[in-house]
Amino acid sequence: MTIETLLIIPIILSIIMIIFRFKIINRICIIINAILFIVAPVLYYFNKEFIKPFNWLLKYFSIDALSFLFFSVMAVVNFGISFYTIFYFKSKDYSNKHDTLFSVLYLLFLICMTGVILSSHLAITWIFIEATTLTGTLLIYLEKEKSSLEAAWKYIFISSIGVSFAYVGIILLSMGNKSGDSLFFVNLYKNAANFTPLWLKLSFAFILVGFGTKVGLAPVHAWLPDAHSEASSPISALFSGTLLNAALIGILKFYKIMINAQMESYAKILLLSMGFLSLLVSAVFVLKVKNYKRMLAYSSIENMGIIVIGIGLGSTGFFASLYHLTAHSLSKSSMFLTTGNIYHHYHSKKINEVKGLLSTDKISGWIWIFSFIAISGFPPFPAFMSKFMLIETFFKKGLSSLAVPFFLFLIIILFGMGKTVFLMSAGSGNAVKNKNLNIFAYIPQVFYLALLLIIGTVLPDFIKKIIQSAADFF
Amino acid sequence: MTNILIILFGLTMLHVFSTTRIEAYIKTLTLQGFLLFLMILLEIKKLLLINFIYLGIETLIFKTIIIPIFLFNVVRKNEIKREVEPYISHLYSLIIASLIFVFGFVISLWLLKIENEIKHLYFGISISMIISGLFLIITRKKIITHILCYMMIENGIFLLSLSIAKEMPLLVNLGILLDIFVGIYLFLLFFNKIQTAYDQDHIDVLTGLKD
Repeated sequence: MTIETLLIIPIILSIIMIIFRFKIINRICIIINAILFIVAPVLYYFNKEFIKPFNWLLKYFSIDALSFLFFSVMAVVNFGISFYTIFYFKSKDYSNKHDTLFSVLYLLFLICMTGVILSSHLAITWIFIEATTLTGTLLIYLEKEKSSLEAAWKYIFISSIGVSFAYVGIILLSMGNKSGDSLFFVNLYKNAANFTPLWLKLSFAFILVGFGTKVGLAPVHAWLPDAHSEASSPISALFSGTLLNAALIGILKFYKIMINAQMESYAKILLLSMGFLSLLVSAVFVLKVKNYKRMLAYSSIENMGIIVIGIGLGSTGFFASLYHLTAHSLSKSSMFLTTGNIYHHYHSKKINEVKGLLSTDKISGWIWIFSFIAISGFPPFPAFMSKFMLIETFFKKGLSSLAVPFFLFLIIILFGMGKTVFLMSAGSGNAVKNKNLNIFAYIPQVFYLALLLIIGTVLPDFIKKIIQSAADFF
Repeated sequence: MTNILIILFGLTMLHVFSTTRIEAYIKTLTLQGFLLFLMILLEIKKLLLINFIYLGIETLIFKTIIIPIFLFNVVRKNEIKREVEPYISHLYSLIIASLIFVFGFVISLWLLKIENEIKHLYFGISISMIISGLFLIITRKKIITHILCYMMIENGIFLLSLSIAKEMPLLVNLGILLDIFVGIYLFLLFFNKIQTAYDQDHIDVLTGLKD
């Protein structure tokens, strides 16, 4: 099997869906794709020859330890969401045509993210990141409401401008690239020491702002709360669990060039300041939001900030960051999928219109609470370990003064989210009992939470090895 | 000769600052596309044939013909005539525009001191174009103007990419072109949707989502 297969099979499945335009076919195709995405990394883990780059397309795609981790996380998140769509589409009752459009765009979006993660060429990464913007916009707009139109517009416009900044970064990099002329990451890493420092520094700043827009780092996060709150819940989960990671891998691969050029001290300052700014922004807004999906969106900004801070710290911070990334993707997807259930019961996204979730729908209520516990980093969930390791790294690096605000922001956000989550869960229910939630509305979240528990308590060797070798990439 | 073209290219940007007619913006955009095409014609000796064909198609067919026709259709269909009163008046806008251009050249001359291999005219004009495009997006209110300014930023970036002699592989270039083209198409699609949903094309209508 070659890497291109991972890109081509979804396209074939999309074509099948377009030909048949039938709901059941759409569901089957999405599930087949999810299974393919899960099976491929598993087989690759046991046999490194299983996925090999193919000479076709001049080796524009390759797989290494870092992209393997990101791809696996994406595959797992996508696996859950694909099953959730069975419930979601049943409850929505779209027409066959609309359903097909949604499913095709869903697969195209996945292809674009796979492209970002597996690309071995800087410009190809850029192309696919811009492509995620384009397909993502249509996915946000599929609900066809005024508010989703506004969110879609902000998303496409802000992201496109941000990503064009990243393109300026690529041009600046080529200016500084005296010896080599290709933008393959392998060559860039090899030649890193020969770059003109000035151009490399400028280039990193542009790339960080550009791809950072897609990651949702403050101060360029403006699109994120709108898009996450207005998209349908499987799409919000997909955005938060995989799209932000996919954009982050662009920054990480570029950061490796900075390390090889021995300019990481400069890059660290930028990463840390954007990370702390993200924490600040989400700490301020999480206390005043009135919409529970927006609250989760701010929490995504927070977690991306934490990850970037970990990368900026270096050494054990790399492992902590990537561990946190895994934890965040799974628990946040679980929360966003649960918002779909909540919306199904209450028909409102406002926090004060949702009361007594536990008495309305016991399972969703408990999933909601446990996912919150998982995301906010209580033991035994993995986010606890990763945050603990990060604080430890602060002290190890002699940056204990930074550990104080870091901890403070986390506490504020924990308080803001916790208040909302428990207000929504407790009390007597004010929703009309709506019994037609089928089993697929719960299974994905339970699957994520079980996986998180396993990662948090046992941490099986193979998972540790995957994350560790990804951390050794730097 | 190329230098004259680049200066003309910069002047078109100043024209945008001083006018309010949307059609004039689109005509400027067409002119910019054509100027870029002429610059590529002058560089013909340095380019590989395949890259020349690609760049020629991008500038002449896409930037000069197809996209402006798209834009004209949208503008005429929706009967948009003028930009409404911007947040900052035209006189001040022009002053700020000149400052942006001064800033662009100061930056490029400063870079020239450190790094003497850059073409400072290319660099100065394209940096000024990118910044002034952003400035226009911030100060103007109509969504269609925002789309046009995005195109101008893209033109500025294109000029910057012309200043480096290195070429990207054709496949990569095609991918970039596809992205930008689909991007513009979606911009216009959403512009039409906003126009029909809100019956207005101000960004002021897009304030429903906030905390």
